[in-house]
Amino acid sequence: MRQPQFEAITPEELELLQLERLQATLTRAYRQVRFYRQRFDAAGLTPESVRSPADLARFPCTTREDLSENYPYGLFAVPLKDIVRIISSPGTTDRPLVVGYDRQDVKLWLDLLARLYTAAGVTPEDIVQLVIPPGLANWRRDLMAGAEYLGASVIPPATLNFAKELMVMRDYKTSVLVTTPPLARHLLTVMDRMGLSPAELSLKKVLLVAAPLAAAVRREIETRLQVKIATAYGITEVMGPGLAYSCPADLGFHFSADHFYPEIIDPETGAVLPPGEEGELVITTLSTVAFPLVRFRSGDRTCLVADPCPCGRTLVRLGEIRGRVDELFSVGGIKVHPDQVRRLLEDMLGGHPPKFHWRVDTEEGLEILDLELIVEEDFFSDEIKALEGLCRQVRRHLQDHLGINSRVTLRELGEA
Amino acid sequence: MLKIRNLYAYYGSVTALSGVTCHIKEGEIVALIGANGAGKTTLLNAICGLVRKKGEVAFQGRDISGLSPERLVGLGISQVPEGRQLFAPMTVAENLELGAYLRAGRRARSEVASDLERIFGLFPVLQERQTQIAGTMSGGEQQMLAIARALMARPKLLLLDEPSLGLAPLVVENILATISRLKFEGMTLLLVEQNARAALKVAERAYVLETGRIIMSGNAQDLLADRQVTRAYLGRDYKEFTEGR
Repeated sequence: MRQPQFEAITPEELELLQLERLQATLTRAYRQVRFYRQRFDAAGLTPESVRSPADLARFPCTTREDLSENYPYGLFAVPLKDIVRIISSPGTTDRPLVVGYDRQDVKLWLDLLARLYTAAGVTPEDIVQLVIPPGLANWRRDLMAGAEYLGASVIPPATLNFAKELMVMRDYKTSVLVTTPPLARHLLTVMDRMGLSPAELSLKKVLLVAAPLAAAVRREIETRLQVKIATAYGITEVMGPGLAYSCPADLGFHFSADHFYPEIIDPETGAVLPPGEEGELVITTLSTVAFPLVRFRSGDRTCLVADPCPCGRTLVRLGEIRGRVDELFSVGGIKVHPDQVRRLLEDMLGGHPPKFHWRVDTEEGLEILDLELIVEEDFFSDEIKALEGLCRQVRRHLQDHLGINSRVTLRELGEA
Repeated sequence: MLKIRNLYAYYGSVTALSGVTCHIKEGEIVALIGANGAGKTTLLNAICGLVRKKGEVAFQGRDISGLSPERLVGLGISQVPEGRQLFAPMTVAENLELGAYLRAGRRARSEVASDLERIFGLFPVLQERQTQIAGTMSGGEQQMLAIARALMARPKLLLLDEPSLGLAPLVVENILATISRLKFEGMTLLLVEQNARAALKVAERAYVLETGRIIMSGNAQDLLADRQVTRAYLGRDYKEFTEGR
């Protein structure tokens, strides 16, 4: 355990610590961020309304749309000169979501990443190789910085082809692979093609991030690579990975509840649900300075597991992530909203509202967006070449703007 | 050791603390920092039962919110008040004996004597000046005496209010060294300081107070580098947060 004084804290101590930090966070949010002051005032609440952590349930939630509306710096609680890092994530509209960190936040973030790696069994002796696609820029940076902070030898994510990645893995004697579930499966198919057996590798552990891991996929990777698997849960708006992480007992993700307060709500009514019941995860930051978030709706559907974990950590766990409560979907770990695809297509069709169907498909383990565009008379072109060009353009656009791979096909209106 | 939840404190109709929650663990030095009027001294006085208050205060698992100052000294909470508050016309030795005022009887007498020995070990200068009139000593020596007097009550938790106030930098260093030594000997300390830099140097953790509320807490080292802390002292302007947006 990296920080046993917090990871194995007693429930009474944790409750007091959460209350202290929650009251301080609400006070700073109220005094320093106009958005929160207006929200609290409108609800007839002040930071003093919270006399125990459970009182937080009376406060309004913050959504990704709120973050968009306050683009870019409206929710920052410190002056820009205190900010040392500004990161963006795509969000659900055409405005990215912007999050700021000050120096203390960066340190906290590194400590949380070190917790994650330590819980995954990674030590400073390990050689850690990151194979994470460029579209997951935040995960790439976070996991690399965390492994370096831990003191491991780190092979940063590169844009090599997968055969080269595997060559590096074999020759550099990588002991820990950090990647996404789809990429891990893809690496398996490339290994088959190369005739590379797991015995030739020095891999001991694989940390799979950025996308939910299906039990079947997990078993496949575990048996075929003969490794132990660890996982982590994180969202960019709330410090990314390190928010919650698996342990050797592997019974869910231990949630860093000393720095973030989790709630599960009914996404329809907003009511807080008891441990064990499934609903939407809502997170309030307790320690971050630059960007306090009060009851941020993650959109992820899961539950809290409060019973003791054999690993000794007392931090409450998140159960399996069972999908989304909103329309966001994941392509290889990159979150996409259907409206973003719609807007991209509309731009390309000169403002013409597009009709399309989509689904996420797998090609050699890699996830791609399978997009079927309905061809209407308005932009129907007899020339095959022009149509092919359109498909190519859509593919490139999805790659450039969202960082996702796609397969684009055209279908005539009325065609079965 | 000390747990405070939702503490309010009042001076007449003025609310000086509005819902403070904090804790101190055994053997820790915790600093309480903030600008003038933020409520630092009020919090100490509220712990000691010196101001009207509402809320939960527990010491070693026991509710102490309704206890009188004398009872609290008996339980092991002593305060070294701001400005020392020595008995100026009395000698050093007399001041120290008064610090043990709760301990009477023959057995206590010999204990007091052995405590004096220990304290003179900590503050050799006081041994040399046992017969000197307290009011004639230098500021730094008076501060030492004030701490020593509080120690005579054998506290488990020592509350220090502005021990560096009005002292020369070198003397401040000296006082800080004494505080570190007390911690080393197992004492738990809550340190109120306007001199945040000094306080954060000896403390392990700190709380930042701003107009009656805690706005931040954390490791002393981290807070030392934080600009929010500076701002809590210099006052803030909302414009500063919105400039250039």
